[in-house]
Amino acid sequence: MASRTAAAAIVLAALVAAPFLAARSEYAIEVLFLIFLYGAMATAWNLLGGFAGQVSFGHAAFLGIGAYATTILISNGVSLWIAVPVSALLPGLFSLLIGVPAFRLRGPYFSIATIGIGEATRLIALNWTSLTGGASGLTLAGAPPMLQQYFAALALLVAAVGVAAWIRVSRFGYALAAVRQDPDAAETLGVATTVVKSQALFLSACILGVAGSIYALHYLFISPDSVFGFSTAVSFVIMPIIGGLGTVTGPLIGAVVYTFIREQLAATLANADLLAFGVLLIAIVVFEPRGILGIADRIRALRKRPAVTVADG
Amino acid sequence: MSYGLALIYGVLKIINLANAGFLMLGAYLTWWLFTAYHVHPLLAPLIIVPLFFLGGWALERTLVRRVLGAEPIISLLLLFGVWLVLQNLAYVIWTGDTRSIETAFVDATVALGGLTLSVPRIYVFVMGALVLVALQLFLTRTFLGRAIRATAQDRDAARLVGVDVDRVMGIAFGIGIALAGFGGSLLSLLFSFTPDFGRALSLKSFCIVVLGGLDSIVGVAFGSLALALAEAFGVRYMPASLQNLISFVVLVVVLIALPKGIVGTLRALRRG
Repeated sequence: MASRTAAAAIVLAALVAAPFLAARSEYAIEVLFLIFLYGAMATAWNLLGGFAGQVSFGHAAFLGIGAYATTILISNGVSLWIAVPVSALLPGLFSLLIGVPAFRLRGPYFSIATIGIGEATRLIALNWTSLTGGASGLTLAGAPPMLQQYFAALALLVAAVGVAAWIRVSRFGYALAAVRQDPDAAETLGVATTVVKSQALFLSACILGVAGSIYALHYLFISPDSVFGFSTAVSFVIMPIIGGLGTVTGPLIGAVVYTFIREQLAATLANADLLAFGVLLIAIVVFEPRGILGIADRIRALRKRPAVTVADG
Repeated sequence: MSYGLALIYGVLKIINLANAGFLMLGAYLTWWLFTAYHVHPLLAPLIIVPLFFLGGWALERTLVRRVLGAEPIISLLLLFGVWLVLQNLAYVIWTGDTRSIETAFVDATVALGGLTLSVPRIYVFVMGALVLVALQLFLTRTFLGRAIRATAQDRDAARLVGVDVDRVMGIAFGIGIALAGFGGSLLSLLFSFTPDFGRALSLKSFCIVVLGGLDSIVGVAFGSLALALAEAFGVRYMPASLQNLISFVVLVVVLIALPKGIVGTLRALRRG
């Protein structure tokens, strides 16, 4: 545990120093920024999807609400210091609203309902033209300096991972794990399943709201198809699965893999990246549902095996 | 078009998220056979149905079987992966341009006592009804059909009385996929499509299946009717662009309010 904390501290120090050391390589900074942002999103999704086992295909709604809240508020002259907290709270409130009906459903039914919820919010954003500008989207005038964006994304990632690490060892985390393994048994043992699931969803939604804020300030242009889009929701699902569902580091590994594959393939052939993710998803689910972390565990076990046979002999 | 979904759910107890992908693929194959080989769109199902049956059967054998024992969420994710692959393969092969099939048949209309009806719509309606009847007969009158129903009701008991459950599951999955392909082929006559074609429709399918009750074939027919009515009436009160919204709202409401499906729905409809 101590060695892990030390390793995390070293990585964090390197990431803080990176923009100053590699200031000339704008592309490297951009890629790191994207990894932080996707990492935060994947970690947020994993709070509910991984720890509590409630796979949601509708999480783009929270990113979208956060992005639109930031863009609309800032366009109307509201300060960033007010816009960002509002962008965190609005998706949170929305999550409580949809959690009440959605959490009456279990497993696959919940997942299907979330596809419906995600599509419904996208269609509302598309058609509420007076507020959202409809299909043509909204633009912002000026972005904050890249360095600020970089640290904002890093701070969000650290906060998200901090929440995930805390959940992992807390009573709350054990309650979520109980819900994942057997909702009936959890309820019998005194876990208020709907309450803990709603809390996880709320945290998840707030983090995604801030991610939406940073997204809007980085790209300066948002449209219903980009932030509310189904492929956005899909990316949240893919990253934690690639890395390892329900772990703290899994979504981060997933975000790194996701960002690199996307950067490599999206430029060469449209949709080739999503095709690759589909293949990867099938392979992981069939061969190693615990993701890259699971594969790492297997390799470690293989290395240990010879030592065991020697001891036996 | 939702029968396949109900069949796969009933027998394998998994929800086929890849349904949308196969629906889209059915539409594209019909279009492709028509433009490249001049196969009449009405004959395309003769090729598509057996092909998709084999494809579905192979998919069950190679991938789905491996995750049947795992948590339900795993099979959901697997089929979601299959859908992603199919959809984006279609983007790579056929690009995202909108396609449609244009023949004299597609635009034909027939006058019936003052009403002008589109011929393909009638055709699709008749074929849908025929498939429903054929499927119902198959499931109730043939040995294989009964074996499928037995497996759906209780897998272990079916195995005890000598049903080859593994084989039945492969066949049921194949039929489900074949129905999705057939549905896609029929729908390509009515609508233009992109690789994203199946998504909204599949959500509607889920909605229909849930409305009808997840393992009843007749219930699925009632579910289709109920959703079609809800959409048709809804459009009178809101813009047409929000039509899809209605099915999503119905889906969510039904999942929550009527998890038991058709019986309660019918009563509610009579009262309303």
